Amino acid sequence: MTRIETQQFFELLWGMTERELRARYKYTVFGFLWIVLNPAFQMLIIGFIFRFFMKEPVQNYYYFLFIGLLIWNFFSLSLSKATPSIVFERTLIKKAKFSRSIIPLAIVFSNFVHLMVAMVLLTVPVLFLNTMTITSIFYILIAFVLLLVFTSGISLLCAALDVRFRDVNFFVQAFIIFWFYATPIIYPLSIVPYQYYWLWRFNPMTEMLQFLQHGFLGMPLPGTAMIIINTMLIITVAAAGIWVFGKESKNFDDWV
Amino acid sequence: MKIDKDYAIELYGISKKYTIHHEKPTLVEKFFKGRDEKFLALNNINLKINRGESVGIIGDNGSGKTTLLKIIAGITAPSSGIIKAGGRVVSIIDLNAGFHDDLSGFQNIYLNGMFLGMTKKEIDRKLRDIIIFAGIRQFIDAPLFTYSQGMKLRLGFSVAIHSNPDILLLDENFSVGDEKFKKKCRDIIKKFRKQKMTLLIASHWKQFIDQNCERIITLKNGKIIKDIHPGLKTKS
Repeated sequence: MTRIETQQFFELLWGMTERELRARYKYTVFGFLWIVLNPAFQMLIIGFIFRFFMKEPVQNYYYFLFIGLLIWNFFSLSLSKATPSIVFERTLIKKAKFSRSIIPLAIVFSNFVHLMVAMVLLTVPVLFLNTMTITSIFYILIAFVLLLVFTSGISLLCAALDVRFRDVNFFVQAFIIFWFYATPIIYPLSIVPYQYYWLWRFNPMTEMLQFLQHGFLGMPLPGTAMIIINTMLIITVAAAGIWVFGKESKNFDDWV
Repeated sequence: MKIDKDYAIELYGISKKYTIHHEKPTLVEKFFKGRDEKFLALNNINLKINRGESVGIIGDNGSGKTTLLKIIAGITAPSSGIIKAGGRVVSIIDLNAGFHDDLSGFQNIYLNGMFLGMTKKEIDRKLRDIIIFAGIRQFIDAPLFTYSQGMKLRLGFSVAIHSNPDILLLDENFSVGDEKFKKKCRDIIKKFRKQKMTLLIASHWKQFIDQNCERIITLKNGKIIKDIHPGLKTKS
């Protein structure tokens, strides 16, 4: 890409991200507050119910839950909106030549802006818990990089595949529900019996949640095996997403 | 890729195959039906278009006119063959595309312009002209869903022609809106021709093609069956 093309790519990506941001909460009374209100409702309901089932109580359970739900909402919302995005924006595809990856990526980035706003709001009460240290920032940053890379990669992959096989969209919707319970959001990984631990190593969402739970609440860090396998999976999915999207995007117009 | 200075567009052995899907493509269908049905929309097209030439493309429905424009515009990739197109190619195929109803006319101009390959700075400079040409000055801050269909089309057309293309591709219903705006469109195309912009016009409108194109290509079943240089039939 030449310099001017790169500039255009980022200008258009930001333009589309802005469009997503502006359009989402227009004509709502609470506007941006919904970013926090939505997971707050979920937190209260799940937190109330789940306490009956938890044998060992987790310290600061509502905070723990809130962090997990924010991350999960970002991930599931991005993925489920990005997957059919190329099909929805078919008129754009037919209009001009531009980097098609902008369509799913703008969805991911607009959700990421929301997540950042919510995270800043969350940090304020967490500071009073005295669980955060200077090194927390490092782990939190790593977690966000992993989260963004993984979400972008899998969104590109599913968006590209959905153009040809519309089943992908339905599969993703079904899989997200299962995936929620397979991720340590409402439970800490420490309640999982050790002989099943390896299963979680194949869920790329585990490592980043553990980093965040450590960063914000001082819970244990992920183990070495978890970090290695999770990170490799994240890189593989991201690479596959970029490769498949690049290959398929030339012929999107034929299928939508 | 190095581009020959004399040619705006060069096509070598361009073919485009489409897979015919009778219903929505699904995984199940893919596995059970085996081979897909194919349709050859373009069959080995070789074509060189000079810089500054205005070319009309005629042919029946389904002869491959739009597919040819889409390939030149880079909207879709050819199944085989090589294409070289120099400079910014702007196609007027779907004017409504790229608009968002909840955003204002102003924001939509920026978004639409960027899709056509303009930078923000370029749009800043052209903004006034775009708004005046579209004739929507007092509505520019209103959200797009308050616009009439004609206003949206005019805005789309206005952004496209102000994007300063080297090659402009026009498909079928390029002149939109009421009589007054249609005349404006025709005038601007005549102006572009005088400025020696490379123009490709796919249309059934024989009279318009005769008046504006110095070269006429006839397509049939994805092949070029006629390529003539009749010159311009207008007095101008």
